[in-house]
Amino acid sequence: MNRQQAELLLQQNFKLPKFYDEQWKTIDRVLNGGRVLLIEKTGFGKSLCFQFPATVFNGTTVIFSPLIALMRDQEKKLQSLGIAAKCINSEQTPEENSQIIEEAKRGKIKILYIAPERQENNEWIEATRQMHLSMVVVDEAHCISVWGHDFRPAFKRIINLVKLLPKGLPVLATTATATKRVEQDIAQQIGGGITILRGNLMRENFKLFVAKVNSEDEKMIWLGKNIEKMPGSGVLYTGTRIDTEIYSKWFNYLNINSTAYNAGLDANSRIAIENGLMKNQWKCIISTNALGMGIDKPDIRFIIHTQIPQSPIHYYQEIGRAGRDGETAYIILFYNPNEDKKLPEAFIEGGRPSIKKYEKVIECIKTGLFSEREIIKHTNLKQSQFRVIKADLLEQGIIREVNYSHSKKYEFVPNSQSLNTKAFEELRAAKTKDLEQMIEYIDTTDSRMKFLCDYLGDNTNHVFTNCDNTGEKKIKVIVADEWTAKLQEFRENYFSELVVESRDSNIINGVAASYYGVSNVGDAIHRSKYENGGDFPDFLLRLTLKAFRKKFGNEHFDLILYIPPTKSGDLVKNFAEKLSQVLKITISHNLKKVRETKEQKIFENNYLKHENVSNAFSYISPSEIIGKKILLFDDICDSCATIKEIGKLLTNLGAIKIAPIVIAKTVGGDLV
Amino acid sequence: MNKETAYWMSLAHELPAWSFSNQSGWKNEDKINLIIQFYYEKKMTIEVFFSLSKEVWKTEFLLSEQRIAELQTCKLTIANYSFLAENMESSGIEAVPLISQDYSKTLKENLKKSAPIVLYIKGNKQIMSEESVAIVGSRDASDIALQFTDNIAKSVSEKYKVIVSGFAKGVDKQALDSSIACRGQSIIVLPQGIMTFESGFKTYYKQIIEGDVLVLSVFHPKAGWGKDLAMARNSIIYGLAKEIYVAEAKPSINRQGKETKGGTWTGVVDGLKKGRTIYVRQPENSEKNDNKILIQKGAIAVDNKGNVILKDSSKYVQKIFSF
Repeated sequence: MNRQQAELLLQQNFKLPKFYDEQWKTIDRVLNGGRVLLIEKTGFGKSLCFQFPATVFNGTTVIFSPLIALMRDQEKKLQSLGIAAKCINSEQTPEENSQIIEEAKRGKIKILYIAPERQENNEWIEATRQMHLSMVVVDEAHCISVWGHDFRPAFKRIINLVKLLPKGLPVLATTATATKRVEQDIAQQIGGGITILRGNLMRENFKLFVAKVNSEDEKMIWLGKNIEKMPGSGVLYTGTRIDTEIYSKWFNYLNINSTAYNAGLDANSRIAIENGLMKNQWKCIISTNALGMGIDKPDIRFIIHTQIPQSPIHYYQEIGRAGRDGETAYIILFYNPNEDKKLPEAFIEGGRPSIKKYEKVIECIKTGLFSEREIIKHTNLKQSQFRVIKADLLEQGIIREVNYSHSKKYEFVPNSQSLNTKAFEELRAAKTKDLEQMIEYIDTTDSRMKFLCDYLGDNTNHVFTNCDNTGEKKIKVIVADEWTAKLQEFRENYFSELVVESRDSNIINGVAASYYGVSNVGDAIHRSKYENGGDFPDFLLRLTLKAFRKKFGNEHFDLILYIPPTKSGDLVKNFAEKLSQVLKITISHNLKKVRETKEQKIFENNYLKHENVSNAFSYISPSEIIGKKILLFDDICDSCATIKEIGKLLTNLGAIKIAPIVIAKTVGGDLV
Repeated sequence: MNKETAYWMSLAHELPAWSFSNQSGWKNEDKINLIIQFYYEKKMTIEVFFSLSKEVWKTEFLLSEQRIAELQTCKLTIANYSFLAENMESSGIEAVPLISQDYSKTLKENLKKSAPIVLYIKGNKQIMSEESVAIVGSRDASDIALQFTDNIAKSVSEKYKVIVSGFAKGVDKQALDSSIACRGQSIIVLPQGIMTFESGFKTYYKQIIEGDVLVLSVFHPKAGWGKDLAMARNSIIYGLAKEIYVAEAKPSINRQGKETKGGTWTGVVDGLKKGRTIYVRQPENSEKNDNKILIQKGAIAVDNKGNVILKDSSKYVQKIFSF
């Protein structure tokens, strides 16, 4: 098929007039059974490079994509053009996925999007035996490389698959963000005489700014004051999940139409927010980097970061979604030199557990065939730590992940090499260097776009005039008293929710008066609990009462119960008594421990925390509980496993509502 | 990882097989002849062979139009097999094609052009190059036969030889258990596709990772257990072993309720025809099995410890052979 013929088909099937030269170069190679790595900026039209050939081929094109949002988006667009496209993903029901697999087997689907993890699924493997496969696409191919910004272990298997594919079966790998090192790594891993096509990565429609500040307050105030003045709608990236919540509440407090998004939300909420974003439902989505890659919205007008990403490539990827329509997009990065380096440094330094923990996992796997849950329990590791270890051990070929009757188990690979810690050191050094480059981006006095292009290996001679170093006005943060007061008022009235509701319990979501670890509240609790500082100070009582009023208003409760402590004596009891007096709710001392438990903080994961408190409590006169609304108090909540356990107990005893309240909730766990 | 695995799997499983109703189908021998042509004579990889044009297949390999069409259909399935091969290899299962250095030399020597195109294995593949002894017999073996199995397995293991057995009840299971009990090495030859052996992989996880057990199958990796596969598997057990011991051959009842000679019998008779030396336990007079007939047919009688019983002597004579 020549270009002319292809463009006729393009007009008929995609309603597009013609290909760009680079698109045709890719498509031509693919149509001839070649293997191509295509590196082009967001908005270039990479998808067409596989969607078009897919419609020309007789069989089904399989696209491995890590992004469910992107899958959904592209599926919708293709279907609107009358092209048989479907996606299989974990957010659809198994029945829906099975139905799609059946259609694929019957040759009814031209373009099938699947997550790389699907390669582990038996039903999928069975289906591939009967499908007529015409092409394999690896989208977001930078996920293949550990040197990239978003390495995903599941891609390792996709590479193995690609290596096994027969010569002549077209393979296209695409990415918008690959440094030269990542490019070489992908090309070498895919092999098979792959052709690399790299476009220029500059985005002239971006207006890039860096705003140096001295505190988080300055960021919040500038944003509070200016975000409504920004054109259109956009995304505010924060460094942690908690920050998405805090910024979102701050904006709501200022009546700025916004919502928070992070990986902790359930699938339905995420889908609703993604859809809302497409329809400009909010001025701003406040998100961790869980949102972004794959959102195909042409008119995101601004992207603001309150926290520096780990590297310029992370940054380029995250800002890449703005201004896909070619219109001006504002890109702002806030940086507090005193604080903001700590989070990415912690990711780099703390990203890898100790070697001892690696050895613990290897030893455990050698003794038997275990699931992730079993290994976590045996080794008392955090799930996140285990996952880092697991990814490294899989990468080094020391263990393998095997599906046994729908359950994933981990096997030791006999005669495998011993743990290569040198690889970790190399990676750590590379990441540290990347972070230094990110700081250089902040400090550069030259063109910021040129800086990013150079970093990505796109050495352009283009003269840019699109940043605050090349003609655009610099952002200066001026803090007026009025705004300081507003922020102060917000802080005093903002309380975090304890999300504990579950189907089998009458417990409702509660409230925490503060965060442990990021405020003077944490220090005060610590002094009382661990430094013989006496009862919790009265300002904590005032704060907790304020949180109570804010969350529960004048709601009536019949009883206050408090969680019997493991170690800290009568602190919790005394505090609960004070609450009882002020709120005029009867206190009960009848909630008891029936067996000894350990302090929850020694357990690194939720399985062990749950086990530690499971059936550990009882209530002395159960008849007191029947039909009662109960306020359940504790000093600190981490995983909330104890609160949930008592919620179940009280539900079983007949309580009709259990509302938890704590002085502080810990900051930890998952960040994105 | 062998990037040609999917090609070998397609060649092994996707060509129409010879049968009485399809006499133009491919015999194993035909496939091996083709492999000899492209790999050994023309020094060509299977990937290169499959990328050749129809014309080259016709002129250089003298293939008929029908065979070419069948090979082309086979070629179309390679992409499909890539998915299965990746899934299989990520589970630690390896496909060993006939041309591989890892392929059992004993099997190749014994089966010649009946040797399977691909062996699917999980475990310590080094075991395939060790001296090996098969112990076979009925699923419904007597205690005395099981004792014999135990004796042979222990004696073989002590001499660092490998026990080859099927994964059936009775003698097979006893041979495996006895070998494991004394930390000997074993090859389990499956009567099914290797990817359907999940429970076995769980049970023998430790032995597999410690290098004491190799699981092997020659069938399509997803094939379920079948009687025909169990019968076909017997020749692989015999083929993998340098020496064969029969604990007990008993008649079995087929689906129609008729008594048949059973797999052990068929395997031994076939082995004897091929000139293999097969040791059969000398039964006691009270035993009702076919051991005696097999001895009459040419198998060598051995006592309960595996010592050869010479025909012209009533006394046990220590056989001069090495386990």
